Amino acid sequence: MSALPEGVSAEQMRDALAEMRGVVGDAWVISGENPLLRAYRDTLSTAPEEASMPSAAVCPASTEDVQRIVVIANTHRVPLWTISTGKNFAYGGPAPRTAGQIVLDLKRMNRVLEVNTDLAYALVEPGVSYFQLYDHLRERKLRLWIDPAANGLGGVVGNTLDHGVGYTPYGDHLMMQCGMEVVLADGTLVRTGMGALPNTKSWQIFKFGFGPWIDGLFTQSNFGVVTKMGIWLMPEPPASMPFMITFEKEDDLERVIEIVRPLKVNMVIPNAAFTVDLLWEAGVAVTRNQYFTGKGPMPDSHRRKMAADLRLGAWNFYAALYGLPEVIDATFEIIRGAFSSVPGAKVYFEKDRVGDPSFEYRAQLMRGIPNLTEFGLLNWVGGGGHINFSPISPTLGSDATKQYRMIQKTCHEFGFDYIGEFAVGWRDMHHILMLMFDRRDAAETKRAHECFARLIDEAAAEGYGEYRTNLAFMDQVARTYGANGGSLLKLQQRIKRALDPNGILAPGKNGIWPLTAKEGPPT
Amino acid sequence: MNEGRRMLRFVTLTAVALASAHASLAAEDTDLKRGKAVYQENCAACHDPGPGHPGTQMLAVKKGKELAVLIGRTDLGVDLVRAVVRGGLIEMPPFRPSEVSDADIEALVKFIHTKRDEK
Repeated sequence: MSALPEGVSAEQMRDALAEMRGVVGDAWVISGENPLLRAYRDTLSTAPEEASMPSAAVCPASTEDVQRIVVIANTHRVPLWTISTGKNFAYGGPAPRTAGQIVLDLKRMNRVLEVNTDLAYALVEPGVSYFQLYDHLRERKLRLWIDPAANGLGGVVGNTLDHGVGYTPYGDHLMMQCGMEVVLADGTLVRTGMGALPNTKSWQIFKFGFGPWIDGLFTQSNFGVVTKMGIWLMPEPPASMPFMITFEKEDDLERVIEIVRPLKVNMVIPNAAFTVDLLWEAGVAVTRNQYFTGKGPMPDSHRRKMAADLRLGAWNFYAALYGLPEVIDATFEIIRGAFSSVPGAKVYFEKDRVGDPSFEYRAQLMRGIPNLTEFGLLNWVGGGGHINFSPISPTLGSDATKQYRMIQKTCHEFGFDYIGEFAVGWRDMHHILMLMFDRRDAAETKRAHECFARLIDEAAAEGYGEYRTNLAFMDQVARTYGANGGSLLKLQQRIKRALDPNGILAPGKNGIWPLTAKEGPPT
Repeated sequence: MNEGRRMLRFVTLTAVALASAHASLAAEDTDLKRGKAVYQENCAACHDPGPGHPGTQMLAVKKGKELAVLIGRTDLGVDLVRAVVRGGLIEMPPFRPSEVSDADIEALVKFIHTKRDEK
């Protein structure tokens, strides 16, 4: 029998699930000893699976189902953990924050409700994956691009709500979101922005409506269940040109980021560009054992051999240009000139990297074509474990270098490779460390957990915070945002109490706990 | 008279058999289409042939090149595929019933097997 949520009796759970079966049917409430419930565990984390094993999952097919389910949850005081496609790799997958919470699985709500080709947007339900939306557009021969995350199985809604990023000029997903439908904890249905206007003509084209813009409240939070969301789509450009520039030395990072910043801030480079370290690039194509079978981080001599074999740099910069071919060519000369000041910099185009899976999957992503190739990285160690440490960095060479050296030192101290990349947004960078470990090795998994916890504190001490984190570290990261006596978290807590007084929606999401919970709120 | 009846009976039985075979083929065709769709949506990005497919890459390391690609592997039965799909395997995450139904898994296995016959 799965663990019950804190403060919930077996009778409460039984009665709640019985009523939920009345809403969605027996087949769509998975509970108790049903082996199908195992598919809801986080299979990639450093935390033990039982720490986030749900007691049940309920799978609604409509907004109306969701409304009825939250009312039942309120009546019986049982907690619901909402997922969309449930493929939140490295951050928790389909699993809830704590053991026993009922997963509210929205995957069955997977309709593309509207695609507007004139105004270039889509309205989708939470179960729509990047693969599905891409196929939907291609099958109808619509000349619109999506902006996928690296994980094509991921959800358009879920990734946006977790502040995910992509690779095209529409790479900041929340910036490209427009309009939501939200079910509140008491079952109330709200449409945000222009959607609140009866017979609205502008729900997916103007974000702000009238009054406070509240869409952000429903991201990385537990204040409601988003059941529809608008997302802007990029009109297919007449041409596009992905490119890669390699840099030989680790110390080149500072200079590279200094060059990237004005190119991004001035929008010479329009898309979400990436500066990627050697191992991240190599790990997609080869395994660690092919170059080094020893313990601990890979020695420099082996790194150099691998870099030479694969024609990679210590750092590898990816971006793309879009538009008329003449404009692309002219713009690229500005970029080429800027990077030519770095000794040893080498420029590659598609024709130069045919058969290179790293270049090819990034080129696809920069053209809005979803795939899963990046997850070849999981073969680097081969043990299935990975969690992402994701601090925000200013787009400054000094900060990038400081973060890189700090994180690399700690990873090496714990015996792990630094495998990282900087996703350049506009003025910020998402610095992503993929901490890879062999999950079959309990000692190594424990070390990875300790390493991750140390990284959070070290980064915070230097003024760096994470934009997103794995379930197991949500409280720790939330506490690092503790200025002014933790007033931000306290404000979130007050909103939580007002909107969800019984604390039934995703207790503990991003460190926001109901007042009744043993774990929180953090002080 | 008897000859006429025999002929009528023969024609009737043949028609029934053909209709039955046609229905069976149609069902098979529907299953294969469904299996192909399930494969394309959930499996292809990791398990298609060639570089850039993490599942194929790992199976080549673990099982050898002959068994690296799922398509055509008649050694994969429904029970094994269901166990891996539902439980996950090392890097591969589990797939929930809301993503892939048991009937989807059966259709998927038929599709995987049939592709070998086409080779």
